[in-house]
Amino acid sequence: MTMLLEIRDLKVNYNVDGHPIEVVRGLDLGIKKGECIGLVGESGCGKTTVGLSITRLIPEQKGGIASGRILLEDRDILSLDSEGLRKIRGKRISYVFQEPFSSLNPVFTIYEQLKEALPKEVDARQSIPEALNNVGLGNIVGKEKLYPHELSGGMQQRVMIAMAIISRPDLLILDEPTTALDVTVQSQILELIMGLKNRMDLAILFISHDLRIIFKFADRVNVMYAGRIVEVGPKEKIFSHRAHPYTRGLVDSIPSFEHRKKRFNAIEGRTPSFSDLPKGCKFHPRCKFRVDSCTGREPDLQELSSGHFSRCIRAKELMSNGAIKST
Amino acid sequence: MELLKVHNLKKTFPKTKVTAVDGVDFSIFKGEVLGLVGESGCGKSTLARSILRLTDVQEGSVFYKEEDLLKMPQGKMREIRKSLQVIFQDPYMSLDPRMRIGSIIEEVLLIHSDISKIERKNKIIELLEMVGLGESYIQRLPRELSGGERQRIGIARSLATGPEFIICDEPISSLDISIQAQILNLLLDLKKKNNLTYLFISHDLGVIASICDRVIVMQSGRFVETGSCEEIFKASKHEYTRQLLKSTLICNYNSIIV
Repeated sequence: MTMLLEIRDLKVNYNVDGHPIEVVRGLDLGIKKGECIGLVGESGCGKTTVGLSITRLIPEQKGGIASGRILLEDRDILSLDSEGLRKIRGKRISYVFQEPFSSLNPVFTIYEQLKEALPKEVDARQSIPEALNNVGLGNIVGKEKLYPHELSGGMQQRVMIAMAIISRPDLLILDEPTTALDVTVQSQILELIMGLKNRMDLAILFISHDLRIIFKFADRVNVMYAGRIVEVGPKEKIFSHRAHPYTRGLVDSIPSFEHRKKRFNAIEGRTPSFSDLPKGCKFHPRCKFRVDSCTGREPDLQELSSGHFSRCIRAKELMSNGAIKST
Repeated sequence: MELLKVHNLKKTFPKTKVTAVDGVDFSIFKGEVLGLVGESGCGKSTLARSILRLTDVQEGSVFYKEEDLLKMPQGKMREIRKSLQVIFQDPYMSLDPRMRIGSIIEEVLLIHSDISKIERKNKIIELLEMVGLGESYIQRLPRELSGGERQRIGIARSLATGPEFIICDEPISSLDISIQAQILNLLLDLKKKNNLTYLFISHDLGVIASICDRVIVMQSGRFVETGSCEEIFKASKHEYTRQLLKSTLICNYNSIIV
């Protein structure tokens, strides 16, 4: 299958106290047509910045893309002018943010906001009810005076999704779309998203800190740490091999009945600050499998099997023996 | 041994006439982790607040050491609050942004004890170390801390009075999964070390499963099912519990998804 979107060696800087700090440090990522890609990592690893880069939504005063390419079917998004971007945002690539209540404008009606997302030449009287029906909001079709505050969090997120798909994009970026919601509502929204993906042949970039969601819905998983991908591959391979100690730590953090009453094999410490990254492998200060050479040079991604890569010098050991001794 | 015995507790909000807690009965036993699970708005936080008298209730009783907390005079209640503590959900909202970490913890010691300044400082360091932080945090402000570190401060603060019972009201739901695991580890370690009893509130059944002994499932102010963790997760009787279980993303260790 051909690539719909390809990110090559993306580097993004943020200005901190007047100095540029690199927060995405050379990232590669590909999304095929109709595929769901998971991007997982802790808060502050740069995963949202990747999403924002694709739609060029990083505020100028905050920083910007330093180098790299983001190809949408051979066209580089990074070379587009504002007119060119306008043709892509919402139409080819849509974005759903974490908190629906802060994404919707409280002083405009739901209908007005949906209409704003439509191109002028499209008939809103037909498209809006269709979009609302598509996201399971058939009960508010025709209620043109409805404001965001009159809806529950789950319904608000459905409205955001309706807005995102109303122009039939090829790629949907979902940035923690259910983190602010209750479990039952969360599962309804996730099911809705996956239904839409299949019906509309959408490609999805699913950004989350929760591997449970990623494992359930993504076809391929990218694990991100300190501004780079540390492991990538089909989800089955990632889950069964966990060829990077960080992935291992994330999986071991998942609470479950089977693991009850035991201490979690949790990742200690916190994500490093981008202005003070450790030498060598960026994960080594928190790593249980650390050896001396980890502090040398930051490892490259090495291919372990078809499509499965890890940025750990002990990846093969981790794979061949699930329980190699931690140091 | 019963630590707390709640009988026919009822709380209606006067303005909206919403009955958030609708006559519930239950006991919390010494040394257990009792899970309270349900969707947003089912009344679980209101129930927790009612037990500690952080909100007024219309009916019912909460017995602690053979005395009804709800009928206790303010002065005595204040004394008892030392033993009954709470950890709040949002570590961003529950720490005063203008106070340094040391003062946040010291405030509790000033209210609930009459130890000297030097003793207070030693106690603060001891508490910070207990939650995996250290003396270097005393001069910091909440905004300089990550979410997980802030929640550790919330935990240190609740431990300052030497409680025997702590209500953990969604203490980890605003944190990353990896940090959630760290905090759960900490709560389990502290329980063992300090012989604590927890009422653990969460909407995440995965978290409940991994930490609780018994579980209460709550819906619209009432309990729909109570049982041991095994009963709830392996043989739930109520339809609502099953629905919750179905919605929960449960990752089995041996296969990707159940």
